[in-house]
Amino acid sequence: MSDPLSKAATASEIAHAVTTRKVKAAAVVDAALKRIEAAEPTVNAFTDILAERARKRAAEIDASKHPGPLAGVPFAVKNLFDIAGLPTRAGSKINNDGPKAARDGALIRRLEAAGAILVGGLNMGEYAYDFTGENAHYGPSRNPHDPSRMTGGSSGGSGAAVAAGEVPLALGSDTNGSIRVPSSLCGLFGLKPTYGRLSRAGSFPFVDALDHLGPIARSTEDLALSFDAMQGPDPDDPACTHMPPDPTLPHLAEGIEGLRIAVAGDYFAKGGEPEACEAVATVATALDASHTVVLPQAAAARAAAYVITAIEGAQLHLPRLKTRPQDFDPDTRERFMAGALLPGSWYVKAQRFRRHYRANVLKLFNEVDVVLAPATPCTAPKLGQVMMKLGGVELPVRASLGLFTQPISFIGLPVVVVPLQRRRGLPIGVQLIARPYNEKAALRVAAFLEKQGVVSAPPA
Amino acid sequence: MAKDKPDVARLVDEAAKAIGLPIAPEYRPNVILNVERALAIAQPLLEVELGDELTPAPVYRP
Repeated sequence: MSDPLSKAATASEIAHAVTTRKVKAAAVVDAALKRIEAAEPTVNAFTDILAERARKRAAEIDASKHPGPLAGVPFAVKNLFDIAGLPTRAGSKINNDGPKAARDGALIRRLEAAGAILVGGLNMGEYAYDFTGENAHYGPSRNPHDPSRMTGGSSGGSGAAVAAGEVPLALGSDTNGSIRVPSSLCGLFGLKPTYGRLSRAGSFPFVDALDHLGPIARSTEDLALSFDAMQGPDPDDPACTHMPPDPTLPHLAEGIEGLRIAVAGDYFAKGGEPEACEAVATVATALDASHTVVLPQAAAARAAAYVITAIEGAQLHLPRLKTRPQDFDPDTRERFMAGALLPGSWYVKAQRFRRHYRANVLKLFNEVDVVLAPATPCTAPKLGQVMMKLGGVELPVRASLGLFTQPISFIGLPVVVVPLQRRRGLPIGVQLIARPYNEKAALRVAAFLEKQGVVSAPPA
Repeated sequence: MAKDKPDVARLVDEAAKAIGLPIAPEYRPNVILNVERALAIAQPLLEVELGDELTPAPVYRP
């Protein structure tokens, strides 16, 4: 058990200490604010620090008789979440000139209702069109394991803040991999839930057809704890589920007995660096998973996710591209402009293919419960790196970091990323993919791997 | 075949005009590059044949 005031403390350790009155939420918040002050010059994770608000909330938690399952847990959110009183930047300069949010986003409200304490807004790639964590307006978030390297994005600040031990829990968004890529490159646990399972109300959209929100943390238990607190219908998000919450935390200790686990072959076994394949092999060995499954047409799925993203994202921003092009991050502007010029027939075909691919992939889940795949094709690239070699082929870094995440989020499957800390070198993650609404299975596998010591996320 | 290769620069110029999107000269080369990249990345999708019965699965609920 870690000292609840240390950077190694997990959310569940803090909540336990606050609930049992071993430590005050006020002290936990003060310790977090001090760590943030110390780490920020190096990692640049935060764009907004909410010291006054957090201290006020901590006092309320300390005065409460039933502070909730996340009592006193400091957390931060990617700055595309509405935070009352602040403009919702979404990584942009343009939105920062816009109106201030009237109230917090739905997931912030749910976490705070469970006792957690928001301490700030986090850096991100502009308008979430990013896999690197770089940002021309606010500077890049830097990987705490090696500040000369990328955090991955677009939830780069979320990865940096949790990996640096500034906070034990952060929220991010994932349209094509933006939770899973930084989880992998920063060596963290990340959960991209089933599409529609968590409310997106009060967050700035990117691609409505593919946008998901979810947590990044340093333990499986913290993913489950926060996920359970955020579940449930919300009429303010038209895509949000009507299903009642189904807690995952009580099932973590069940182990992997009865779960059928296989490795994704074909597309997912090619195009990655050796460390990506080795990570999957290590996890497969620990789980005794020797069976391989093929997700049919994964390359077309990645292409379709790319097309939907390019066209929907560009359409959303077209008015701003016409009137304020000079105020965009140069690394997103011309990609958005290009997306606005692509044929509409591509978009409709991608949506039709989505249904076809979904039907075929869901058939696989009659025979298997969890599928293993690499999360990223490589460990963290250097900041500013534009091209990289994958399997001997020169490819753009920005588009390629999501090669293995895009075919999965495309059909909204739930995924837990588990981090492998490598003795020599940077961490890398593995995706544990389950059928829709079976986050529980992926979390059980993650908890088992963590207990076996195969995966872990100590702060850098 | 090389002769079938689309003239992406022209496509960018004309499509941008059609939708009223001004593209400053300093942005133009990168827009062209990104449309070329999109053409390459979209290829596996464009090669798929879909039956007429496959309609999209939108989330929209009336």
